[in-house]
Amino acid sequence: MNERDREHSPPQRKKRVALFVTCLADLFRPSVAFASIKLLEQAGCEVTVPLRQTCCGQPAYNSGNYEDAVLQAQEVIQLLAGADYVVVPSGSCAGMISHHYPTLLDGEWRDRALELAAKTFELTVFLKDIAHIRPKRKKSPAKLPSVAYHDGCAGLRELQIKSQPRDLLRELSGVEVCELQQSEVCCGFGGTFCAKMPAISGKMVDDKLKDAVATGARILAGGDLGCLLNIAGRAERLGEDIEVRHIAELLSMQFDGPAIGKGK
Amino acid sequence: MNASARSEIFARLREITGEAPAERIQRERQALGSAPVPAPPAAELCQAFLTNVLKNKGTVDCVANRTEAVTAIGHHIYSHFRSHRLVAGNDPRLAAMPWRDAGVLPRFGSLEVGEPVALTFAQLGVVETGAIVTWTGKSNPAANNLLPEHHIVLVDTADLVSSMEHAWGRINLELEKTGRPRGINFIAGPSSTADIEGQLVYGAHGPRKWHVILMGDVPADALALARAAVPA
Amino acid sequence: MEQHSDTFLDNASAALGNTAQAERRDVIAAFAPLIRSAAVEGFTEFDALRQHVKRVRQHSLDHLEYYLGQFEHEAVHNGNHVHFARDGDELNSLVLDICQQHDARHVAKGKSMVTEETGLNDFLQRAGLEVMETDLGEYIIQQAGETPSHIVAPALHKSAGEIRELFQAKHKLGDRELPETVDLVSEARQVLREHFLKAEVGIIGANALIAENGYSMLVTNEGNGDLCANLPRVLIVCTTIDRVLPLAQDATAMLRLLVRSATGQSQTCYTSFYSGPRRESDVDGPIETHFVLLDNKRSEILDSDYREMLECIRCGACLNHCPIYSAVGGHAYGWVYTGPMGSILTPLLTSLEQSHALPNACTSCGRCAEVCPADIPLPDLLRDLRHEENSKKLSAPRWRLGLKLHSWLTRHPPLYHALTSIVIPVLHWFGRKHGNFERLPLAAGWTSQRNFPAPEGKTFMQQYKAQQKRREQGKHER
Repeated sequence: MNERDREHSPPQRKKRVALFVTCLADLFRPSVAFASIKLLEQAGCEVTVPLRQTCCGQPAYNSGNYEDAVLQAQEVIQLLAGADYVVVPSGSCAGMISHHYPTLLDGEWRDRALELAAKTFELTVFLKDIAHIRPKRKKSPAKLPSVAYHDGCAGLRELQIKSQPRDLLRELSGVEVCELQQSEVCCGFGGTFCAKMPAISGKMVDDKLKDAVATGARILAGGDLGCLLNIAGRAERLGEDIEVRHIAELLSMQFDGPAIGKGK
Repeated sequence: MNASARSEIFARLREITGEAPAERIQRERQALGSAPVPAPPAAELCQAFLTNVLKNKGTVDCVANRTEAVTAIGHHIYSHFRSHRLVAGNDPRLAAMPWRDAGVLPRFGSLEVGEPVALTFAQLGVVETGAIVTWTGKSNPAANNLLPEHHIVLVDTADLVSSMEHAWGRINLELEKTGRPRGINFIAGPSSTADIEGQLVYGAHGPRKWHVILMGDVPADALALARAAVPA
Repeated sequence: MEQHSDTFLDNASAALGNTAQAERRDVIAAFAPLIRSAAVEGFTEFDALRQHVKRVRQHSLDHLEYYLGQFEHEAVHNGNHVHFARDGDELNSLVLDICQQHDARHVAKGKSMVTEETGLNDFLQRAGLEVMETDLGEYIIQQAGETPSHIVAPALHKSAGEIRELFQAKHKLGDRELPETVDLVSEARQVLREHFLKAEVGIIGANALIAENGYSMLVTNEGNGDLCANLPRVLIVCTTIDRVLPLAQDATAMLRLLVRSATGQSQTCYTSFYSGPRRESDVDGPIETHFVLLDNKRSEILDSDYREMLECIRCGACLNHCPIYSAVGGHAYGWVYTGPMGSILTPLLTSLEQSHALPNACTSCGRCAEVCPADIPLPDLLRDLRHEENSKKLSAPRWRLGLKLHSWLTRHPPLYHALTSIVIPVLHWFGRKHGNFERLPLAAGWTSQRNFPAPEGKTFMQQYKAQQKRREQGKHER
């Protein structure tokens, strides 16, 4: 169905979206999940949050504990099987589900993983490419300070997310993104990597932070809380005055609360 | 020769990969076809070749015939070395050139210590890479390609081939006639190194300068267009 | 070569502490990807080429016994002696035997990672031969008594100043100061030219072996390998059995990928194909030529889930694009092969026990796989090695068991949510003022480099469930 048909056809049943919150948003940044719900509803979706969700299994998987990761993947597949769409406010968790579950699992489970993969989307991809979210008509958005965008590696390379967050920031929040010079280089988070090899990770996040600060932007946004906790933590350590926020917070214009790692 | 190592390695490989009839393996390879070739920088062959030679940090000249070629060679040697001497392999095509007309004094043979310039008549020029191809033999001592300060290469426009695949086509025809030469050399630029701080320096071991003279029916504007495409 | 991969973390810390070298690495890390992308951008069918060469490589490996046999047959027909070596020691002995048969005292060596792997230079030198590396980068590190830090540019970790001091110490310079890089190159050229002329044996590697005609392909920019192949009386080509390709055009197709990925050129200055000893009509060239073809675990890799690693063409692109390689440099990896490809090859060619830190030196960022001209899924292979590490219980127990416990908890949602709804609000309360912690128990690795952001408040699940409950109540009340 092309764009024209969609506009002229009678109103359809709302898209039923299950939100996979991600463990980091659940524990450290609930406002990301609330902002995601708000955005999905703004895009005309009916949002449910499966209550038995925990973690997608990346820590086990990336540490080479495939056996446990398989069990976690199976839990997630069962949990999300009934949804029309699954939306994840994280490139790496969305990549885990849509990219790695099918290679991790075999046989019937692999087929189920492929089914889930086909309907799982990272938040900005879903909003931009699937739900075609439009800015709210009534009030013009409050002017955002300048924003730099950090591309999480999994989102960038596994899911080819590049233009969507930038387009959305322009269309929904009315702000042009400042580009980092080395925008495609990892921030050094890497899950357990940052704790297993802290000195190397420290050098990498330092480079990323310097690059972000050099853009002159007031806010560094990103789509992955792992990266953002890492960069925000380093910014606090060095006393750098840049706010780190998840893109969902900016798109939903809910950024009155403290930025990541900031006190009240 | 260590026969047991050989038989052990082959036995192990056979165990891993299994055996298949040679014809089937060759058929499988044939079915894979040939590799894609990058598009040339210009549609016209001479211009494309000259452009790529310039990109390879070669210097170029275009001449219409052998008389012009010896003049250009003489001019190059004199302007760089205030000399009329060069060394060239025992290539009948070079021996037959009108050297005296340009006052050039060639010596035919292998480059000796202290001789700065060697001339090679290339067997082929590869448009795709801006490389010249020579193979070893009486007319091509390897030293002449590798040891001079300046390496001058003459390429006949009739010997230009578009890609490395076409180069192999021509080489294989030649090999059927003369047997396999010891060495086949694709040369694409002066000897260079970036091993010290990534800084590009010419004349690492071999020639500091690589001068290509394209001889034959070269379109009048080919050289100017090539130069325009490659910033100095 | 001696291995120090087991101390990767210490090696890395030392490398990070050397600020001058770290700054040079930063410059290269910013620069090298630009050269590659400029070379690839203009070539719209680059990915199609990558897939074509991959199919050819897979085909060659699927029929390696056939093609190796064909290569051997053709190479012998061309007048070569062809030898096989099961491991590095066998290769070293074979090469020494050949040198001794010719009463050789001087060896001129072209760049070869395979002979770095087998430690050939040391072996020959202990037997009394003078072995001179002739690639400029290899020459520099040989003089300095170091090992390569990069498979393509082995001395890139050294500054021009350090190289100048090295030449001042090792060469008879008199009052020459060698102020510019070009002077350093000229100096090395002079010294090495003399060595080329007196060497009785030349040793080179090969980028490919061609089954259909028995030629080997050698790719260089300096031309040093060609001098090794053409000037000495005896030529020995050392490479591994997996390098064989069916057709000559396959080797040049691979070349298209290799040079663009390695140095951003469309062709290196010298791409040479050698088939054997001097022919009757030749005026120069070696009178005797040998191939020494090494297995050293390649057949094991062929028979494993890591077979794709044999498709690596040693271009160095994964190193140039790896943020961890550029942070710590090649020496930290502690062996011949470095960066992502080295973190896979080192455990496979030595042992995982000695080198299991290397597959962990990866954030799975995927930049290496994106640029790999052989299309090897490097992050996946690294993760598979971590799987082996985990299965063999080589990783630190606190990590292994901690992650196991975490995984178990996440598979028991009520317990997980109950626990997190206690821990998270407590953590929030302690961190409410600053919004982060400078130190935190059980998070020393994290907090050694960065503060730990405090949770925003209660968990999302707590808040969401409460919200749903309020809504339900609201409905009932209406």
